[in-house]
Amino acid sequence: MIMAGTVKDFRMQEIHTPSAFEGAIWAATGVKDARTIFHAPPGCYINQHQNILMNDWTAELYSTNLSYANIMQGAEDKLEDVMRKVIARKPQAVVIITAPSVEVTQDDVEGVAKKVGLQDTVIIRPPIGGTAGAGKDAAMLSLLDIMETGADTKKNSVNIIGPTFNMFNWMADLCELKRMLSGIGVTVNTVMTAGATTAEIKRAPRAALNLCMYPFDCGVGVAREMEKRFGIPYLDGIIPMGFENSARWLEKIADMCAVDASGFVRAEMNSAMEFVRSNMVFTVTFEMSAALSFDNNNTYAVGIGEFFTGEVGVDIVMCAVSDEDAAQRVQAVCGNVLVGATIDEKKQLFVETAPMAIFGNFYDKKISMDEGFQNFIFADIPTIGYLNTENCPFMGFRGAKYLVQSLVNEVYMKIFLETKGEMSGPISTGAAAWEIEAEEAFIKVSEMIPHFVRATAMKKLHQVAEQTAQERGCAVTVAIIREVTDKYTPTKFKAKFSTVFENTRPARQETAGEDEENVPVDSLAFSMQWEAAARRMLELVPGPFRQAAVSGTEQYAGEKGYDKITGDVVEEYRKELGM
Amino acid sequence: MPLKSYEHCCSTLQALASLGKIEGVIPLLHGPQPCLFTNQGGSMSCRPAHLVTAGTLINKSDIIFGGEESLKRQLINIHKKYNPKIIVIINTCVPQLIGEDVEGVIQELREEIPELTVSACQTGFNYPRSMPLGSDASWVALVDCFKECEKVSGSVGIIGRTGQDAGNLAAVEVLLKKAGLETFVFPAPHIDEMAKIVCAERLYPVHITNQLTCRRIKEKFGTDYHYIETPAGVRGTSSFFRGVADLEKNQKLHDLVDQEEKRVGQELDSIKRQFAKKKVRMLLVTGPANEVSIGKIFAEFGASVFIVPSMKNAFYKQEKKIMQERYGARFIEEDFDSLEDVIDEIRPTVVSAEFQAQVETMKRFLPTIINMLYLTEYGYDYALDLGANFFHNLKEPVYRKWQHLMAQYGG
Repeated sequence: MIMAGTVKDFRMQEIHTPSAFEGAIWAATGVKDARTIFHAPPGCYINQHQNILMNDWTAELYSTNLSYANIMQGAEDKLEDVMRKVIARKPQAVVIITAPSVEVTQDDVEGVAKKVGLQDTVIIRPPIGGTAGAGKDAAMLSLLDIMETGADTKKNSVNIIGPTFNMFNWMADLCELKRMLSGIGVTVNTVMTAGATTAEIKRAPRAALNLCMYPFDCGVGVAREMEKRFGIPYLDGIIPMGFENSARWLEKIADMCAVDASGFVRAEMNSAMEFVRSNMVFTVTFEMSAALSFDNNNTYAVGIGEFFTGEVGVDIVMCAVSDEDAAQRVQAVCGNVLVGATIDEKKQLFVETAPMAIFGNFYDKKISMDEGFQNFIFADIPTIGYLNTENCPFMGFRGAKYLVQSLVNEVYMKIFLETKGEMSGPISTGAAAWEIEAEEAFIKVSEMIPHFVRATAMKKLHQVAEQTAQERGCAVTVAIIREVTDKYTPTKFKAKFSTVFENTRPARQETAGEDEENVPVDSLAFSMQWEAAARRMLELVPGPFRQAAVSGTEQYAGEKGYDKITGDVVEEYRKELGM
Repeated sequence: MPLKSYEHCCSTLQALASLGKIEGVIPLLHGPQPCLFTNQGGSMSCRPAHLVTAGTLINKSDIIFGGEESLKRQLINIHKKYNPKIIVIINTCVPQLIGEDVEGVIQELREEIPELTVSACQTGFNYPRSMPLGSDASWVALVDCFKECEKVSGSVGIIGRTGQDAGNLAAVEVLLKKAGLETFVFPAPHIDEMAKIVCAERLYPVHITNQLTCRRIKEKFGTDYHYIETPAGVRGTSSFFRGVADLEKNQKLHDLVDQEEKRVGQELDSIKRQFAKKKVRMLLVTGPANEVSIGKIFAEFGASVFIVPSMKNAFYKQEKKIMQERYGARFIEEDFDSLEDVIDEIRPTVVSAEFQAQVETMKRFLPTIINMLYLTEYGYDYALDLGANFFHNLKEPVYRKWQHLMAQYGG
């Protein structure tokens, strides 16, 4: 396990994770008929409001819109004014969350709430420097104050603790878990908090059991407190991800609620067996590798990691999490675990471990694109805009199927299509001679491609290599093989390919008197007119890749309808490639 | 005949896939709509480019009145649109059944458009129980179009399996070239390159599938062929090259084989040790003829190998004898009703089959590999790669997990 340093250097490319303030707001705004007031300056408020709406459908968030003067002179009156206006809209509860600047000046929020006098007012002061999970816990713990006491326990009912706004895929996961619970005759009393009503939150103490949905992220402290205050036992040891753990989770709940889960579990597991028996599961997953990058969903990292390795044979080649307990657990299935990693650390490990698919957030998606990884599955926040619904869960029985379905379809089809030419491509590009060293390198390259696409992928590489050689009027050389493998295969293979070329004797010169690294711009084959400025830009491209840069730029220019290559066209193409 | 067919695919599809790999050639499927739809879809995983499949879409009227006119019209369309070097008509079951005069159409076009080259092969139920022959038949159709040329003294030709081998025969070709033997390969990615096979003085088939092709080249161009054995596995590869070296009187090739054996010996021993520990009992069922060659690789590693062959030509018989004598491999040539019956009899620990058989093996939690994914299995390095990664890729713990899960929850 690679730990981030105790004294952390400032790094320009650090990816920031959500704080306790976000956590608290996401937890609070999930309560449908409550109104949340963010006691904060307008900038803080706008950012938070927009952030919620990137992943969730709606959010009722109000603000005190504090100015510098308000904060310096005390903003209690502003809060009182906003509270009264909000209460006039008749919410079932009001949640007040203080911003970091208010936490510095320590406004008397409790005093204002008392003065205004709404009974169901909840005040959350998220800890500065806390994690999103800590903020969620703080919010949920505050909500305990409005819960009823002394109510009778409702048999076979549970609370689900953990889902909040901005938790990736919470809606679909929750929907699937509710379906499963319903299948064994257990009802959901309250969800804490996303989608719940104030009345549901209040009656939470009636549940017979609390279920921690994201035990490596939040909710366990809340469950413990509820056990203390209301005597409700809780389950936090099983993450319902993958078929086995979904079955175990239901069995445990059934056991604790004294119901029979066997019929439902049997039907689900038989269906699961049918699924994994199908043609496209083990055939593909057994030679597949994945990277899990879950800065903001440690529970997913543990759940998916254990499911993929144990039940469908996908190798987890790296995993990034933000919680040390999660890291310890993931280590059992993955040798490369990062905790609190920077973007550079992640990027380096992506390239070193060369996964066939990456699960992660927007920033991971961007890194993966920059590094040439093509197969990516969104699985964490931030997404910077991603539509979530009740469909496509990752948790539960259906979630297990969907995870495999999305992974296989993403990887197989992209690699598969990559081995193809155009639908009505040329009937023939003509034959080309091969140097023996190039043939030898080609054999080694083939061994690095998974069997499920090997033969067709090699055919494609062969064809492109010959086409390239023809364009340059030479035989297929090691340099050409290196170029085409670099250009036409995902990074998964590229990282491994480098070992082939390091161990292969240098290629014969394509142009007499020039070594492989030194490919003068004048020696390149151009099929379009290149302005001097554009040609000069080719000097910045490493020698072995210059011809590929020419071909790629010309193809791009052709598609865009440009009649010649200018510096602007090169720049435009470079940006298009994300370079 | 089994109750299900465990063949790799229809011989029509195999012909389409093989020809579809060769630049300069356009296959024309002469058949009805279901034949075109399923064969086009089925061949997609094998074909690299130009994915459009030309067909004649034989309908009821064609069956009653004859489909020759449609065939002729489509051949002219293809010629005008793409101008390929060769069009190969893949004559499927229905036109064979109604006795379509395909040769007559070809003859007519030869007179009307002399620059158009058309050939034909018969697939479908012409080879109902040996799919790989679809490939062999399609190669014969190409050979029929080749022109005589002067043979290159001291040169050799290697004849591969199917279209997948086009551009993927380097593992055999490189050593021959290093030994100073001018080498022509068939199949090759481009038809011009393939046509040079007639320049070879002697042919060495590298797989059991291509006997018809070798025979046709001999008939048409007088080239002798020698089936030594498939160069699969370390010993199989060495024996093949040594056989060529003896026939070509080439000591350098022997020396190169010595070097290669020295290079791979240690890794092979390590793989053998793993297999000895695991005691693999492997059943290989009717792949695209690679059930024999892949079986040979595993037999060399020390697995007990049982093979249900997809074809039984003379090359197969020779290979079978080698494998029986060298490794004690067992061949199951009798009919069976279902694969499960054979599994009950053999009790394998691993099955290698096509994916339609996986439905039966998975029920029993039997680790299974899919034949069609293990192609171009020639040479030393392929074998070592297969052996070194085999147990990791087999994922036995996953099968055990599912066996446990089903015992606990399923039923």
